Amino acid sequence: MSGIIDIKDLCFRYSQENEELDLSHIDLHVNEGEWLAVIGHNGSGKSTLAKAIDGLIAPEAGEIYIDGEKLTDQSLWNIRKKIGMVFQNPDNQFVGADVEGDVAFGLENQGIEREEMHARVKEALEVVGMQDFAQHEPVRLSGGQKQRVAIAGVLALRPKIVIFDESTSMLDPEGRMQIISLIRQLNKKEGFTVLSITHDIDEASLADRVIVVDDGKIIDDSLPQDLFQKGNQLIEIGLDVPYPQRLKGELAQRGIDLPQEYMDEGSLVNWLCRSILKN
Amino acid sequence: MSIHIEKLNYVYQSGTPFSHRALTDVSLDIADNTYTAIIGHTGSGKSTLLQHLNGLLKPTSGSLTVENNKITAETKNKELNDLRRHVGFVFQFPEAQLFEETVLKDIAFAPKNFGKSDEEAEQIAVKMAKLVGLPDSVLQKSPFELSGGQMRRVAIAGVLAMEPQILVLDEPTAGLDPKGRLEMMEMFDRLHKEQHLTIILVTHQMNDVANYADHVIVMEKGRVIADSQPAEIFSDPEWLKAHHLGLPQTTAFAAKLQQQGVPFKTLPLTEAQLAAQLADMMNEQGGGLRG
Ligand SMILES: Nc1ncnc2c1ncn2[C@@H]1O[C@H](COP(=O)(O)OP(=O)(O)OP(=O)(O)O)[C@@H](O)[C@H]1O
Ligand SMILES: Nc1ncnc2c1ncn2[C@@H]1O[C@H](COP(=O)(O)OP(=O)(O)OP(=O)(O)O)[C@@H](O)[C@H]1O
Ligand SMILES: [Mg+2]
Ligand SMILES: [Mg+2]
Repeated sequence: MSGIIDIKDLCFRYSQENEELDLSHIDLHVNEGEWLAVIGHNGSGKSTLAKAIDGLIAPEAGEIYIDGEKLTDQSLWNIRKKIGMVFQNPDNQFVGADVEGDVAFGLENQGIEREEMHARVKEALEVVGMQDFAQHEPVRLSGGQKQRVAIAGVLALRPKIVIFDESTSMLDPEGRMQIISLIRQLNKKEGFTVLSITHDIDEASLADRVIVVDDGKIIDDSLPQDLFQKGNQLIEIGLDVPYPQRLKGELAQRGIDLPQEYMDEGSLVNWLCRSILKN
Repeated sequence: MSIHIEKLNYVYQSGTPFSHRALTDVSLDIADNTYTAIIGHTGSGKSTLLQHLNGLLKPTSGSLTVENNKITAETKNKELNDLRRHVGFVFQFPEAQLFEETVLKDIAFAPKNFGKSDEEAEQIAVKMAKLVGLPDSVLQKSPFELSGGQMRRVAIAGVLAMEPQILVLDEPTAGLDPKGRLEMMEMFDRLHKEQHLTIILVTHQMNDVANYADHVIVMEKGRVIADSQPAEIFSDPEWLKAHHLGLPQTTAFAAKLQQQGVPFKTLPLTEAQLAAQLADMMNEQGGGLRG
């Protein structure tokens, strides 16, 4: 079955002088509507992979298909319309003089008519909670506000594929979870595909599937629950362990015998209550 | 170095139609050799407050005093040179503080500027790069041709190379991988404990507040709404909830156990505390059954 993203043996290096490839023989298949989390240590190649998918860098070998169409110089503009990317630093993507104009910019470019445009801008700003800042200059916002506006800009476009490159790293935990769950709902309802690059293990655990990038290669491709069961192996590749797993480790060190299998927070709470309150 | 802030107000673009009030009547004290965490929602004024600490912003009214340097609306920039030398500032977005041709030159900038020879400055830079976990392969690259987390590390290394007495950190671990986050937080903690740096940290991570800080300031809509200690703040989940603030993961997890009837005298703040308390309870159980 052809996916929304299909990558075959993709290789890339930033400079011919680099001995090592920055992306090395990447194969990746993403189904339409899937929420894929991309994790990996700093400098592993996550953002580079995102840039390749968006056609911002040219591969040295291999092929990328988006929605069945091969990514080439000719198809680039058509393909980019299907992809909305929120960059790691939001300052790199602001173009409008005010927040409203910034979110509307991409829509104007796509020739969306005015009424529809206003409605979409309003809706997107509401999703990220920035409607009160519509008239503010994007560069004159707080860090978290900038990230929210950048997300709104992409949501308003309603692309088939949304790529978030650590787009919520500066939000307070409550705000972050609100935005992520709203986007998750939209993703389920409207069926767009999400690629979410993140260092946040809780965010990754909400994904349908998680890939781990290391030295420009995909070294793991699993369901979240299968990946997080690997415990200390995760720490070795520079990743975090979900809270219940960490606590299990601390308890084991103190001689407490726990079940081997992956436990989410609810099941660990239940297990602990049963063991402590058993009479 | 101690900090005293008195009735500080700050208005962005003051006197224009775009004027925007970001800080209102902020008064607080930060003692020498303490570790202060500043928490609060998106847009609550944390970064604006921090930028006063090295004179990047000057109060619209009111004042702040860092050691013996008093800063008011009238203070001239050149009066701030001495202060800036002692206050190391890691910005919320690392790109904002990178500027040199290579990573090494960027980190060596401050030591060179403060009178070290080229050779000495470079040695310091190599040492700092190692300390923050930058691979050797990036040292001769442009700081702008790096990954986000690598840029963050260069920015931190550059600030450490200044050998500041106060370290002002605006979400310094955003963008770092989990291992890097932990290593960096442990390093800041060592600088605080061993070299007695005063640390002021803006963070959304309540775990970090619980693990490292001895003083917490909570901001909301440009005002200080609490000035307290971690144990104190986190002992009041209702208040935190009312202000849309979270608990450290451990405290939240223990609160769930408590709801199910697990008896805690005080809710723990750190994983180790929680695990120890749970292990005690379970051993008691086991002992009871055996006996
Ligand atoms: N513009 C660039 N020019 C040259 N090399 C680059 C450039 N951007 C990144 N690199 C290098 O490519 C490698 C992969 O970088 P990438 O930005 O993809 O990492 P990442 O996984 O996104 O890391 P992070 O978690 O820190 O954002 C790194 O070694 C980095 O130094
Ligand atoms: N350069 C600026 N010009 C005008 N207004 C600004 C500027 N920078 C910030 N503001 C506004 O001042 C208020 C406080 O912003 P500040 O950056 O201090 O928030 P913050 O607490 O650091 O938030 P975050 O957690 O999102 O980084 C916000 O409402 C913001 O929109
Ligand atoms: Mg990146
Ligand atoms: Mg800020």
